[in-house]
Amino acid sequence: MVYTSMHGTPEQLIACHECDLLMERVASKPGEDVICPRCHARLYYTTINCIERLLALSVAGLILFLPANLFPILSLRIFGQSQSEIILQSAMSLYEGGLPLVALLILLFAVVVPLFQLCALFYISCTLHYQLEGRLLRQAMHSYQHLRGWGMLEIFLLGVLISIVKLKDIADLEIGLGLYSLAALIVITTLSSIFFNPHQIWDEIHQHRQRSFSDD
Amino acid sequence: MTEHSPRYRSARQSGYLLCIDCDKLHTISQEGQHCDRCGARLHSRMPNSMNHSWASLLAAILLFLPANLLPIMTFKSFGQGEPSTILGGILHLLEQDMLMIGMVVLIASIVVPVLKIIAMIILLCTVQFRLQTNLRQKTIMFRIVEWIGRWSMLDIFVIGILVALVQLGNIAHIEGNSGATAFAIVVLLTMFSALSFDTRLIWDKRAPELPPGMTDKKDEQ
Repeated sequence: MVYTSMHGTPEQLIACHECDLLMERVASKPGEDVICPRCHARLYYTTINCIERLLALSVAGLILFLPANLFPILSLRIFGQSQSEIILQSAMSLYEGGLPLVALLILLFAVVVPLFQLCALFYISCTLHYQLEGRLLRQAMHSYQHLRGWGMLEIFLLGVLISIVKLKDIADLEIGLGLYSLAALIVITTLSSIFFNPHQIWDEIHQHRQRSFSDD
Repeated sequence: MTEHSPRYRSARQSGYLLCIDCDKLHTISQEGQHCDRCGARLHSRMPNSMNHSWASLLAAILLFLPANLLPIMTFKSFGQGEPSTILGGILHLLEQDMLMIGMVVLIASIVVPVLKIIAMIILLCTVQFRLQTNLRQKTIMFRIVEWIGRWSMLDIFVIGILVALVQLGNIAHIEGNSGATAFAIVVLLTMFSALSFDTRLIWDKRAPELPPGMTDKKDEQ
């Protein structure tokens, strides 16, 4: 590969998003990453059936989101008294206990952001796969990209495990259906962030827009 | 080839500009306009990246003290129990021979925020004073910082779960305290600091050159 003589049109060139190095674009085969030679960032790659996989994952995620949020995660029993909790109650109890900001952050990071991301992913993949009219495609894509890293279900799960260890000596604990659903949901969101290939999706969105413009 | 090989030229030096949202390449004269593919506003470098990053980081450093000195939660059983700080909670876990869990909480709540703040200071100083050593290492450092920073929210989630679960009146009762708010803001601010930092600035060794005849509307350096 030659990294000098950069006098092509913008379409023939690519710049690294992490160090701004200018390079000639090379084709990437499926399963092969194109790496920046200077800072080693992954520039682009090809994901097979990217849209279809994301569609399947987002449907599975939206289904799992319900039991993960509606069924109790943990139940606790001391001296005959018992208490169980769903994810939303963590935020509600903190709000009632006078920590509204912390409550809001938990609500956002553990419920709202993951749900919003799943909806955005479903909208993007469904629109692109079935060639529907997608007026909000670019907005959905931007919001999904900017929210990456702000959904913290896996950290919440680790928090549950630490709470179990902290409480196991003083009370009887029972793991609820919600926790299993949450674990499955984390597998889904992790897989979808692996298969989420921004380059490919932006290309598809571009083609989608051109098609709908030529139809008008 | 080394990191500083003269054969490497940045897009900015060659008169190009990369859309950070969809990675489409534009000419640098389109600075401030909207990307024709994704609609995002185009900037050769994130506007005011250094100012925003420093501001969030300094605020995080200031709040780090109340976050660690104020109690984060109170556990009361049969009327007994004291408010505990982050460090107090970790020591309590270690005393009870829960070494593994104690270590996890120690790393997430103290080690990671401290290292993240130090790493951001190093990165910001690198750009501010145009240091030119180990740029690739610094890029890797930033990637680690960006990925690991969110795990500091762990303690906040633990407080949320415990407060919701242990509400058994006189028998056992856990409530959150104001230290938790301060700690949550520290984590949030360090995440904002990393988010506003433009890694491309690390690689701009000198004041970024522009091709002759072109002026940059938003030159921050």
